[in-house]
Amino acid sequence: MALVMQNIDIQVGGVAHLDDINLTFRRGGLYTVLGRTLAGKTTLLRTIAGLQQPQKGALTLHGKDYINLPVWKRRVAMVYQQFINYPHLNVLANVVFPLKRAGVPRAEARQQAREVLAKVGLAEFEKRRPAALSGGQQQRVALARALVKRAEILLLDEPLVNLDYKLREQLREEFQNIFEGQGDAIVIYTTTEPAEAIQLGHEMIVMDEGTVIQQGNPLAVFNAPVTIRCAEVINDPPMNIFRGTIEKGDIRLRGGVRLPVPAHMAQMPEGPYRFGLRAADLSIGGVIESKVELSEISGSQTILHLRGDIGAFIFYEDGVYQHSIGDTVPVDLNSDRIYSFSVEGDLIAAPAATDEQWR
Amino acid sequence: MLKLNHKHFFLLPGLIVLVAIIIFPLLFTLRVSFSSWDVVKPGLDWLGGKNYGRLFVDMRFWEALTRLSMMAVGSVLIQYVIGFGLALLVWRDIILKRFVRVLFLVPMMTTPVIMSVIWRTILHESLGPANDIIQLFGFEPLTWLSTARMAMVSVITVEVWQWTPFMFLLLLAGLLSLPNEPYMAAAIDGAGPFRTFFSVTFPLMAPISIGAILIRLIEASKLMETVYVLTSGGPGTATETSSYYIYIRGLRDYQIGYAASLSLTYLVIMIISLTIIAKVLTYKFARN
Amino acid sequence: MKTTYLLLKYLAILLWSSFVALPFLWALTTSFKTANGVTGGATYIPWLQYEPSLEGWKVLVRTGGQGIDIVAPYISSVVVTLSASLISLALGTLAAYGLSRFSYRLGFVKNSDITFFFISQRIMPPIVLAIPFFLMLQFLGLLDTIAGLILVYVALLLPIATWVMVDFFNNVPSEIDEMAMIDGCNPIEAFVRVILPNSLPGIAVGGLFCIIFGWNDFFFAFTLTFTKTQLLPVAVVALNSSVTPWWSLSASALVSVAPLVIIAFVVERFLSSGNMAGAIR
Repeated sequence: MALVMQNIDIQVGGVAHLDDINLTFRRGGLYTVLGRTLAGKTTLLRTIAGLQQPQKGALTLHGKDYINLPVWKRRVAMVYQQFINYPHLNVLANVVFPLKRAGVPRAEARQQAREVLAKVGLAEFEKRRPAALSGGQQQRVALARALVKRAEILLLDEPLVNLDYKLREQLREEFQNIFEGQGDAIVIYTTTEPAEAIQLGHEMIVMDEGTVIQQGNPLAVFNAPVTIRCAEVINDPPMNIFRGTIEKGDIRLRGGVRLPVPAHMAQMPEGPYRFGLRAADLSIGGVIESKVELSEISGSQTILHLRGDIGAFIFYEDGVYQHSIGDTVPVDLNSDRIYSFSVEGDLIAAPAATDEQWR
Repeated sequence: MLKLNHKHFFLLPGLIVLVAIIIFPLLFTLRVSFSSWDVVKPGLDWLGGKNYGRLFVDMRFWEALTRLSMMAVGSVLIQYVIGFGLALLVWRDIILKRFVRVLFLVPMMTTPVIMSVIWRTILHESLGPANDIIQLFGFEPLTWLSTARMAMVSVITVEVWQWTPFMFLLLLAGLLSLPNEPYMAAAIDGAGPFRTFFSVTFPLMAPISIGAILIRLIEASKLMETVYVLTSGGPGTATETSSYYIYIRGLRDYQIGYAASLSLTYLVIMIISLTIIAKVLTYKFARN
Repeated sequence: MKTTYLLLKYLAILLWSSFVALPFLWALTTSFKTANGVTGGATYIPWLQYEPSLEGWKVLVRTGGQGIDIVAPYISSVVVTLSASLISLALGTLAAYGLSRFSYRLGFVKNSDITFFFISQRIMPPIVLAIPFFLMLQFLGLLDTIAGLILVYVALLLPIATWVMVDFFNNVPSEIDEMAMIDGCNPIEAFVRVILPNSLPGIAVGGLFCIIFGWNDFFFAFTLTFTKTQLLPVAVVALNSSVTPWWSLSASALVSVAPLVIIAFVVERFLSSGNMAGAIR
């Protein structure tokens, strides 16, 4: 029994927000939707919630038509990116609200609300108004209100994007516990962060420009993106792409760089290709010359934007280093980790999957 | 036919009421304007365009329109200048702001007609304080309500008293919401107060100024009550505005048919002129 | 240089403040005069320039032929203003919410046109409507009645209420409505349970505007009532003849504008405490 979307099209002002979407969400499934901003993730959730109507396509739940069911009759819960709570009600009343609408008697409703508030760690904040809470606490209230409904479909639209880094990590862990306890509900969680999508989901759906470009087991998708587009979306920073050829047993990149052909690409015929390498799979010290164009420090890592004869690329190194613009940095490419794509962008060969920590 | 759903519940009651109370009367007025309904022959006959032909050559109507334009534009401009001036004076002054805001707010809240009644006693040429104070300063007393030109001045004075607070409040709110950066830039460039005003403040305030002026013009174009109480349109017809003239024709002389044609023509002229003024002002001053 | 500026500034403020206060002070002092305080020329200070008396005020409470009945018009004004304001506010808030949240289409007419239609009613000069209103109320037998006036005033105030509330609702994020619907409310329940409780500032402003415009109207009351029903502005203006002495005239006038002046002070306190700052933008 499932939520099935077939050939869903949504156009707003001539721009396709959703383009021929076909997806099936099964009971008890925990799905993450990964994509960049404006990929259509929010539109997807809003369509499921009933806040937007598709121009074309079918939407059914357990075989019954879902499109013509008005929002308030769908058993859906949603958590927005902006912390949406009812400003005129205190925290407890906020969480009790959907239960009261469903006809649950007052005492029981308050009891259930209190249980959920305890689960999200807000037990002592019952009487406060949302405006008096911090961002993270407000989002927990929104989450509590969504959970208390025990809805069939739980939707979360980038719920952590407006919180600071530490809070995001903390809540991400809590989410994993919370989602396990959701039983038969379909949970759909959207995000722009690959790490989050891979960590939280049982199945990952990658979207770009209104279409689904890949879906499946998160790690499997991560290790084998089917196109360059997927590779770019699934990695943060985006996967580096180099043009080159395979000739006489070598990978030849621009600028005369030659690398040995790795084992997983041994069977590939000669010809032009596009090669992909994650930012973390480069290392400093080697023979490839490149100049620093930009140097950013993120957390405890340094992100270098470099340019050499092989092209422009990004390098991700552990630790905090100082580099000035214009500095020359020699790099080395780990050819065992190279992906190869056809010139049109389709995956040909991927390195062996590792359970090395992706970033 | 519409499928009735929740969203109609919200809009329809108000819309229906408005259409019923405004559109039907308007349509009825249109019909009446083609009749010769008056005190002698009440009822809807058909006169064709005779009423409109008559108003075309009715000099009194066109003069009233001209007078209205002069008084409306004149008083609104004065209100704007004074209101802006006061707002600028009070803008950065924290102590003054609270005190004057109440004081300046009050005239706007009073009933205009009733204040006009009081003004009539003030402007009384022999018994009123206006001339008394003027003579105190050594000037000749003014013929506030008995000569044509001064009568217009009196009307404009009362209007300015009544509505400058509106301009003041709107413009002050606008000034308070201006960003700081342009002023810091101007200060760095060494611009003096006048330069700063003309290159920074005035342009930034353009949208709000235009909005305020338009709103006041719309209200001022209906000018009638002040005239009724203060001068009864006089002396003679010196302060007769369009509304006042139509009132005389329609509800005093009871020439309802003719008055209907007058009022519709007046309405159309108002809509067209106000739209033109709005577009010109926006085009000239708020082109960003 | 700085001090000259300051001096001029305070002088200007003083001048304008005097100009603003003039009518009130004059009416106040005149209301305590009798014949000799008026006929000799303008007088200002009681006891010094004239003998004060309470005649102007006493006449307001005196009943019968000698008195000026100010109480009946007062009550009529209150009833008409409050009723019309309430109805206009109710209809206007509903319409404004609809215009803000939903999209309507009737042929080529859409939301912005409908909103414009509401707001543009302000351009209508009262005289244009006075004639048909007169005939309409006459036909309905509602001339010179409170009900008739309320009907007409709703037409006057509905555009104002709608204008204020549309602006207000446009600044309330629609995510709250959506959340209410997701939580099981149909649009009407969402409006009543969630939007309304959070709209009190806007409603207060809308209500205030309605009351001000309603209380201060003269023209419609003037053309549509005669003897049975009289609103305050009409009553006071009727006194504006050579028969009524200045002192009773001034007293009546002051008493009539007093309520809104008091409201002005109340509103100002509210404004400066920032409560409504967000609502009026």
